[in-house]
Amino acid sequence: RHEFSMEMTCEGCSNAATRVLTKAGGTDIVTDLASKKVLVTSDKSSDELLEILKKTGKAITYVGPVN
Amino acid sequence: VFIEGMTCMSCVRNIEGVISVKPGVKFIKVSLEKKLAYVKFDPSVLTVEAVRQAVDDMGFEASLDQ
Ligand SMILES: [Cu+2]
Ligand SMILES: [Cu+2]
Repeated sequence: RHEFSMEMTCEGCSNAATRVLTKAGGTDIVTDLASKKVLVTSDKSSDELLEILKKTGKAITYVGPVN
Repeated sequence: VFIEGMTCMSCVRNIEGVISVKPGVKFIKVSLEKKLAYVKFDPSVLTVEAVRQAVDDMGFEASLDQ
């Protein structure tokens, strides 16, 4: 399970994150606007997920693995 | 290109910003109200489907018909 920090300003942003991760086969996706957190469970590597999330056009960084 | 999922002007500017720097894109104007993007592009570089795909990859539901 991976945690990312993503610059999100509205529901459109968090929905976009959820949508691209869902399309990439991610599950158990949690987004939190206030803390700018994105959590996802995926078979993909953190680098692959980072590339996918970057396509949203938002500033995004990898925080680390979480349980 | 019809776009679902934009909620505010920051979404609009985000899409305009990302798509406008794509090679082959000459002009883009997004209307939040109409849920529509007008895109001018060089057809020898891009197709309308490629533009739709790029918007879709940004996490917005993009389609070529309403
Ligand atoms: Cu937003
Ligand atoms: Cu927005």
